[in-house]
Amino acid sequence: MPIDQSQVRGAIDIGSNTIHIVVAHSSPDDLAILADEVDLVRIGASVTSTGEISEQKRDEALAVIRRYKTLAEQLGAANILVVATEAIRQANNSAMFLEQVRRETGLTVHLVSGDSEAALTFYGATYETVKKADPTMPLAVMDLGGGSMELITAHGSQITWLTSIPIGSGSLHDCYMPSDPPNRGELDAARAFLRSSLLDMQIQQEISTLIATGGSANSLLSLAHRADFLEAAIHHLTIDALQQCETLLTSTPAEEVAERYGQPVERTRILPAGCVVIQEMMARFHLTEIQVSSHGIREGMLLARARYGEQWLGRVQAEVHKMNLDRSEANETTPVQDNEAESSAATTSQNTTTSDNGAYNEPFADYGQKMLRERLHKLLDWRDEVVKNDDSEAVHRMRVASRRLRAILDAYESCCQPRKFKKIYREIKHMADLLGAARDTDVMLQKLQDHYQAVPYEEQAGIMWLIEHLQSYRQQKQHALERYFARLDEGILRKRIESCLPKGAESNG
Amino acid sequence: MAKAKTISKLDCQAPTGQMARLIAHVRLEELYDWAQYVDNPYHSKELHNLRIAAKRLRYTLEVFEETFPQQSKGSIQELTQLQDELGLLHDSDVLIALLRLCLGGQESGAAYQKALVRVKKQKKRKGLMLPPELVASVLDSTDSPSAGERYGLEQLLIAEQHTREERYRTFRDHWSRLQEQNFRQEVVHMLDRL
Repeated sequence: MPIDQSQVRGAIDIGSNTIHIVVAHSSPDDLAILADEVDLVRIGASVTSTGEISEQKRDEALAVIRRYKTLAEQLGAANILVVATEAIRQANNSAMFLEQVRRETGLTVHLVSGDSEAALTFYGATYETVKKADPTMPLAVMDLGGGSMELITAHGSQITWLTSIPIGSGSLHDCYMPSDPPNRGELDAARAFLRSSLLDMQIQQEISTLIATGGSANSLLSLAHRADFLEAAIHHLTIDALQQCETLLTSTPAEEVAERYGQPVERTRILPAGCVVIQEMMARFHLTEIQVSSHGIREGMLLARARYGEQWLGRVQAEVHKMNLDRSEANETTPVQDNEAESSAATTSQNTTTSDNGAYNEPFADYGQKMLRERLHKLLDWRDEVVKNDDSEAVHRMRVASRRLRAILDAYESCCQPRKFKKIYREIKHMADLLGAARDTDVMLQKLQDHYQAVPYEEQAGIMWLIEHLQSYRQQKQHALERYFARLDEGILRKRIESCLPKGAESNG
Repeated sequence: MAKAKTISKLDCQAPTGQMARLIAHVRLEELYDWAQYVDNPYHSKELHNLRIAAKRLRYTLEVFEETFPQQSKGSIQELTQLQDELGLLHDSDVLIALLRLCLGGQESGAAYQKALVRVKKQKKRKGLMLPPELVASVLDSTDSPSAGERYGLEQLLIAEQHTREERYRTFRDHWSRLQEQNFRQEVVHMLDRL
């Protein structure tokens, strides 16, 4: 059957350890994967050491993203979706980096919260399992990334709980296990930190099936196969196999392991940390084995896009938000988030307490429409007070409101339809000029009236002469304002404001 | 003051936070385009333009405040203070211009009178310190200030010139402090954060 090219999409995730692309023909419940590539860039290492994404890492990342874009286009991808996760969430210069990606590749990167990352990962890691399994089967997914770990519980495809913890194989390696191979003391310190961090997770259902995804889990499975710790037909990691991996990784330098077992050396360096995290998670949930999935956030993005259309991320965020609300209502007496936040205070705040920065990620045009409506409303609120002229502050307030509205129009000019923009801009400027003339005169009058009270008698006549002239001028301006507002049709003004910014423009997401 | 620069290459569907940063960077550059005039207290128009540019940056930071980090509040405070200081300076400039006009009208000869007539006929302000309508209204030839009234206006002019000097100093001191703390770089760093 021929492939419908409009359903071919690429999904790139910029993670702490890797940048990864999947290109697939996607439908709401299935994917036919056309390409799956990964590059180990380790942006997280730079962020952990300096708080910023270094220039070198930015250049490396951009080169990878450019290459992925070309690959997706060659495969006929109609859209390329891009998300960024923990390392970018933590970096001090993340906004600059995201803008650089947009400028140099034309791709818009969505910075997703830990919770949204968890939900997307769940969709990707489970879509094959869920198709075959009992729809109410209790299961959990752990996605061990370089800078964070997402844990999601569900009944079948229905997510019941999720969390994101800022602990990943890369960050654990950098902070606790930097030696090659890591020594016993480092291993013990890492375990102690993990145990205290995982102890307070208040998961509300029994976990009998745990699916691990992410680079570390897949690399450990590959290592276990190649080192004959597991038979090739077995696609789950057992506690014994992991113990053998740990022994190998803590007794042999990374380069040697990489060479001997055909693993990328950079990945092998952080594998001991990944091994420890998975072992501790299994111990936390009293499991002796875990399944490993090669799918994750990228497949989840493609499925969400096929299910929800252009608003895919908004829908995922809304679902996560609703779940968080339900969860906080259910946990009013013992909030899960608070306990978790305390447990990881040594690193950074828990992402369960953060939602996606809705305003940051909101499409620019949608935000503008909202702001224009709000600001116009605030502006027009002063209309009656200005006409009444009982309080000179009303003119001042309305003038300030008109300036704020113009600041939004200035910001959005290039997104607006030029003719409509010019018309509404002229209208608002005219109103602002009328208000400005009245306000500037009020300021002078106030100054002169104060001065009049303070100066000797022989100076007062001159001040009064000027006050009288200005009052007469101010009266003219008041009449001009009254005439203007008598003619002003607020409904038409609202329509003009609302129609000058386009709605529903095509995006690359 | 020229209209704010139109910022091209904005993407309607891109995250607001990214676009807001592009806009704020442009507004910040616009502000510092006027910085060269700060040391001369008599560059009234340029200082007024600096004020408008500060206001535009401040409003940009306020409009998109939800998308900026907490540090944006500190930048907004500094810009508000700057805008207030330059606003007072401009108020003084306007009053001084008006007073000079009132006092100069009778004694400055035909050329001055012709210039005033030209200004009064102008429909738009076009860079003038005073709106033509105000000039026309205050300089009604049938009601010029008497000698006694002129004395009061002259004293007011002297007082206002002193006030202006003080206001300029206040602004200049604040500007120096902002330069010392590298305010421009602070804003750039703030915009680079999420």
